[in-house]
Amino acid sequence: MQLDRSALLDAYRRMRTIRAFELKLNELVTAGKMGGFMHLYAGEEAVAVGVCQHLRDTDFVASTHRGHGHCIAKGVDVAAMMAELFGRATGCCKGKGGSMHIADLDKGMLGANGIVGAGIPLTTGAALSAKLRRTGGVAVAFFGDGASNQGAFHESLNMAANWKLPAVYVVENNGWGEFTPTEFVIPVKDIAVRAGSYAMASAIADGMDFFDVYEKAGEAIERARARQGPTLLECKTYRFMGHFVGDPLKYRTKAEAERWIQTKDPLERFERRTTEAGLVASSELRAIDGAVDATLAAAVAAAESAPLPDPSEVTTDVYVGGAA
Amino acid sequence: MSVTAIRMPKLGMTMEEGTIVEWRVAPGDRVEKGQLVLVIESEKNEAEIEATASGFLRHVYAAPGDVAPCGALLAALTEQPDEAFDAVALAAAEAPAARRPAAGDAVALAAAEAPAARRPAAAASAPAPVATSAPARGGERKAIAPAARALAKQLGLDAERVTGSGPGGRVTREDVEAFAAARERLVPVASGVALEVLREGQGAPLLLVPGFGTDVSSFAALTPRLVERFRVWALNPRGVGASDGPAADVPTLAADAAAVCAAAGGPVHVVGASLGAAAALELALARPELVRSLLLITPFVTATPRLLAAVTAWCRVAAEASPATLARVLAPLLFSDALLADEALRERTLRGLAAACARVPPATLERMAAGLAAWSGTRAKDLARIGAPTLVLAAGADLLTPDGEAVARAIPGARYTVVPGSGHALASDAPGVLGDATLAWLDRT
Amino acid sequence: MTRARTLTFGQAVNEAIRIAMETDPDVILLGEDVAGGGARTGEDVDEMGGVLGTTRGLVKAFPDRVLDTPISEMGLIGTAVGAAATGLRPIAELMFIDFLGTCLDPLLNQAAKLRYMFGGKARVPLTVRTVTGAGMQAAAQHSQSLYWITAGIPGLKTVIPATPHDAKGLLLAAIRDDDPVIFCEPKSLLFVPGEVPEGDYEVPIGKARLSREGTDVSLIGMGATVRMCEQAADQLAQEGVSAEVLDLRSLAPLDEEAILATLEKTGSVVVVDEATPRCGIASDVAALCVDRGFDFLNAPVRRVTAPHAPVPFSKTLEEAYMPSAAKIVAAVREVRG
Repeated sequence: MQLDRSALLDAYRRMRTIRAFELKLNELVTAGKMGGFMHLYAGEEAVAVGVCQHLRDTDFVASTHRGHGHCIAKGVDVAAMMAELFGRATGCCKGKGGSMHIADLDKGMLGANGIVGAGIPLTTGAALSAKLRRTGGVAVAFFGDGASNQGAFHESLNMAANWKLPAVYVVENNGWGEFTPTEFVIPVKDIAVRAGSYAMASAIADGMDFFDVYEKAGEAIERARARQGPTLLECKTYRFMGHFVGDPLKYRTKAEAERWIQTKDPLERFERRTTEAGLVASSELRAIDGAVDATLAAAVAAAESAPLPDPSEVTTDVYVGGAA
Repeated sequence: MSVTAIRMPKLGMTMEEGTIVEWRVAPGDRVEKGQLVLVIESEKNEAEIEATASGFLRHVYAAPGDVAPCGALLAALTEQPDEAFDAVALAAAEAPAARRPAAGDAVALAAAEAPAARRPAAAASAPAPVATSAPARGGERKAIAPAARALAKQLGLDAERVTGSGPGGRVTREDVEAFAAARERLVPVASGVALEVLREGQGAPLLLVPGFGTDVSSFAALTPRLVERFRVWALNPRGVGASDGPAADVPTLAADAAAVCAAAGGPVHVVGASLGAAAALELALARPELVRSLLLITPFVTATPRLLAAVTAWCRVAAEASPATLARVLAPLLFSDALLADEALRERTLRGLAAACARVPPATLERMAAGLAAWSGTRAKDLARIGAPTLVLAAGADLLTPDGEAVARAIPGARYTVVPGSGHALASDAPGVLGDATLAWLDRT
Repeated sequence: MTRARTLTFGQAVNEAIRIAMETDPDVILLGEDVAGGGARTGEDVDEMGGVLGTTRGLVKAFPDRVLDTPISEMGLIGTAVGAAATGLRPIAELMFIDFLGTCLDPLLNQAAKLRYMFGGKARVPLTVRTVTGAGMQAAAQHSQSLYWITAGIPGLKTVIPATPHDAKGLLLAAIRDDDPVIFCEPKSLLFVPGEVPEGDYEVPIGKARLSREGTDVSLIGMGATVRMCEQAADQLAQEGVSAEVLDLRSLAPLDEEAILATLEKTGSVVVVDEATPRCGIASDVAALCVDRGFDFLNAPVRRVTAPHAPVPFSKTLEEAYMPSAAKIVAAVREVRG
């Protein structure tokens, strides 16, 4: 479970890319340059990257409406994502999906999803497919604490445990289901205990610590690949920004947010731990920061000058044969 | 007395039929309620059937090996061993087995009527109300099916002029086809104008000219008697039926009639009713050589105020209401009290009138009314010049043209007959008398 | 050419699944009780093969690919969608279409839209088999014909055969279609026999079938109502009215050309649908006639449907609820005058 230098730098690069990407979107949407509903992942980077570090292109992940982080962690092209969010023909979904439906099946990314909990059964299906076709693949669902109250969650976990599917269900418990605190709507403190109802393995990780996520995710994925069955992995994390861009955030205190942002930033913790252990140098990380910013700037510029989709695209891709 | 039936049960949703395996009782045996009487087999499973009432087994309808559908009558018990029981009647009274309710148990019946009676009204009554879209909303305007409109346009015809035979008088594609075919029977009367002229019969030529707002069907009761002895030419004026439009004034109608007479190889016996009689008078004055005799039915030379008012009302109602409504409005003006009092006759007559009205569009009526008003009074002094033998037939209870006698007196040598009690629409009110008088007249000329 | 023999509608469905699974290892069958006891080896139990017996025998033939699921429609259909998007070709059974309410999202927002939202990169070759319609006294929550809902969702296809021959061919086509297809099995037809050829054949999706030619009126039916239309046509023939019968077979995509062709021929259409009247297939067909066939209309388009009510239990009420040959004949008489 040890990570070598290049893997560490790669992990950092992905997390930094997510952070920069989300902050850039916040800027663009607030400036009116980008439309649609935008849900940003800033603060939760360690979860996506800590899990996806173990995955191959042939493993599938399904995500939520807050899906940019999972896309980037899974290796979806940033420029294609940016073009998609600008609604351009060069977007990874040809401009037809948008923020809540960004996907790239070639990278095993089954898509962000506008329906809470919908990715969980899709993941169960991907795991069933992997098992029956003997691909050796695993399927990972990312979803929030709110989704763990959906019927789809319970039905999927029951079925996955029953059939011992190679799946990992990652619940990103960020303490908030939209504008309602988690403890208002869930009677248990740790969502992980729900796995007990399905005789499923479970674990709890500090979602703000890349290494804890990496280790616990590793165990779960290993268990899945070894055909030992699924795991419910709860990552305690925090959403630095609002539920959506433009959220006035009246429902939580600034003090609470500040506490998390100041003391638990996963990027800062990663940097502190790896530099203190002498595994990487700060200068390397700064270089990565610069490269990420450059990549993003280029992505924005390319997206802004890319062509918009032709109106005829409205009725294409409805069916495999075209329109019907 | 009561009969208990033992039936093939329905054991499970997919069971359709069962096979008799073994009877445990025989006719004549006493059977207690709950006793095992029969073993059946279905879908590879055997089942034991118990009696649900006590009694004596009287008849078994199915033998081991027989296959019967669920609900079929298999055997019958009666309360007493020797009471009257008709096995054949019981079986015959069964409703078709497939329609029996899916009851697994034996059912108590009262005599042979029960099976039929137990199917309540659903079997005997009309089918449940058709669950279709609610009946169409139609207006008072003529309904024309889109296919009819399209065909009419294609053929260069005015769909408004087609009589509708569909429900509610809707004009269908077939109606347009019939109309087009009728137009092929047209007779040219002027440059670019052809009239619908029905030709029938053998003998000397005779021309029928209908009155205001109607068509040749107004002579329907008369024509069959005429065609036996004459070659009848019945013309629809311009704008009526399949004739070209637009409608024209009285002199033009007379000129059109002249053209028809020429086509008939004149001179012609001319018969005109009401406004048609006006045209006949014009014809006799303008082209006397074409007129062999003149029969004027309820004629006028000067329209009374009531006639003018009636014609005006006629136009207005036709523009806003259906032909059926129009016919009802006109009825008291055209028909006698006697006719109106006879319900069956009245309804029949009104249906015929409505059908005729349907063939005269509002635009035609307007022009005819103008023509009538314009002609009124213009020929009062000229009647003395008429040389053709003339008969005036008047109606005794005519509200619209009551001065027939004056017309007769003004024409040299004209005869005059009144049909007592008849309304203005003589051909509808007194067809028999009209027919007799007409034939008698024609025999003399 | 292969021989024909007589199979029931349900048996024809069974045969299609068998052939599909024999010819493609990626085809799996999942649903509630699709094996139904038969997956338990070593015990003296027989298999149900589905609540109506349609899938009996398949778990023995394909023990690893016929999966009984918990009673979790959302979970099982959603899982089937995910499996379809990632390499399998699943046949999922939704036991009764009345249960659509419990699994609408995986079909409506996932299966129907993944390909479109992902710019053409996803493919969901899923078939959902489901039982529809009245006629078994199964009452309000097990007798509906909700195919109008799925037919109206872009991205899904919806088909409904009327004969055992078409049941087999259309199901094979549906399974092999790369789009999500809802395959409807009218319960009143499941045990009705018909000629079914042996061997592998498909009936194309999107093509209606002219069951009988005529000149005076077009009876357009789907599923269970096609038989009723044919019976009505027989009765009408005795009255000198020549009725044409069109079996839609495919509700989405709809064979618009076939509908317009029969309208052009007769000028008079009666649509017969056992679903409820609002927002349904009958209305869709009627609108098509008026929209694109206006000049052919020689009579109003009549819709013979169930009433705007739930399905009642009592046998006589259910009979009054369903369309019938008598109601179709009455409708034809009404529009012809």
